[in-house]
Amino acid sequence: MAKVTEITVWTRGVVMDKEARDVANAFSQAAKMEGKFVQAFDNYEDLPDRVLVTTRKYARISDEEIEMKYLYTNAHPDVVVIVEPTIVKGINVLKGMPEGGLLIINTNRSIDYMLKFIPNADLLGAIATVDADGISGIKTVDFSGSEGGVDTAGIGAGIAAPLLGAMAKVTGMAKKENIAKIVTNVAAMERGFNEVKIQKFRKSRAEYFWGG
Amino acid sequence: MAIKVPKDREVPFGAITPAPVKQQELFITSNWRIVRPVIDHDKCTRCFTCYIACPDSCWSFNEKEEKMEWNWKFCKGCQICIHECPADALSAAPELDFEDGVVRLEKPF
Repeated sequence: MAKVTEITVWTRGVVMDKEARDVANAFSQAAKMEGKFVQAFDNYEDLPDRVLVTTRKYARISDEEIEMKYLYTNAHPDVVVIVEPTIVKGINVLKGMPEGGLLIINTNRSIDYMLKFIPNADLLGAIATVDADGISGIKTVDFSGSEGGVDTAGIGAGIAAPLLGAMAKVTGMAKKENIAKIVTNVAAMERGFNEVKIQKFRKSRAEYFWGG
Repeated sequence: MAIKVPKDREVPFGAITPAPVKQQELFITSNWRIVRPVIDHDKCTRCFTCYIACPDSCWSFNEKEEKMEWNWKFCKGCQICIHECPADALSAAPELDFEDGVVRLEKPF
């Protein structure tokens, strides 16, 4: 089986649920446009209906057909995206991550300050921060797109857009041009692409391109 | 701090607890919090409005030190106490400003 890149998006229930869903859905959709095989899942294991409770969204990207279609949780996430930075204090966000993974945080704080809250940061291949709250600041609250429904509020109207831009630059798995076809707020996506800060560690693996 | 219940009277977890005014094992929801209430003990008049207003009884009175005590493990950062405080002794601070109060849970909630 070909290598499947697992992406886990951590967010908070209800208030930022839609934004994280947009990150997982839009990024995998953009990768699909480039001929990759993708899966994206909303959350069923955590409790997404409680305000502020930490929940996850999942996406998988692979060059070949993904066989593990009955498992919707990512046991070994290669990329972890954190939509709300306080989550690093309450959850071991790098749980299950293989060495050399990537962590993307939506924060305006410095990378060194965020690393204080990540005790197992030696697993990381790279860490990136983007101030999505400062760029967009909009948090759409809408449940119409969960569980396979049609997203009436539009994809990537809020803080998801700068996060997607940052992911496009740092992971290199989906092109910015393809994400621009999906998201509503293209200007915020461009700003996220340009303003992402990245710090690389020596552990980065050859099969991944964490850069920008 | 588990309570000893006889075998024949066993009940599910959470059915019997000490009154939730003090920190308890397993009653940890501090990872829901984005904003933390910070108390100014000089401004505090000990009116107990925060104690009454808090939906989760996270404020209690420490009789020895004669000041309000905050249950940081159970507080979810709803900010009701901050809005209700008549003496303006409580203020909201981003949780990430503090390096203490880190509780990493195995399950997300």
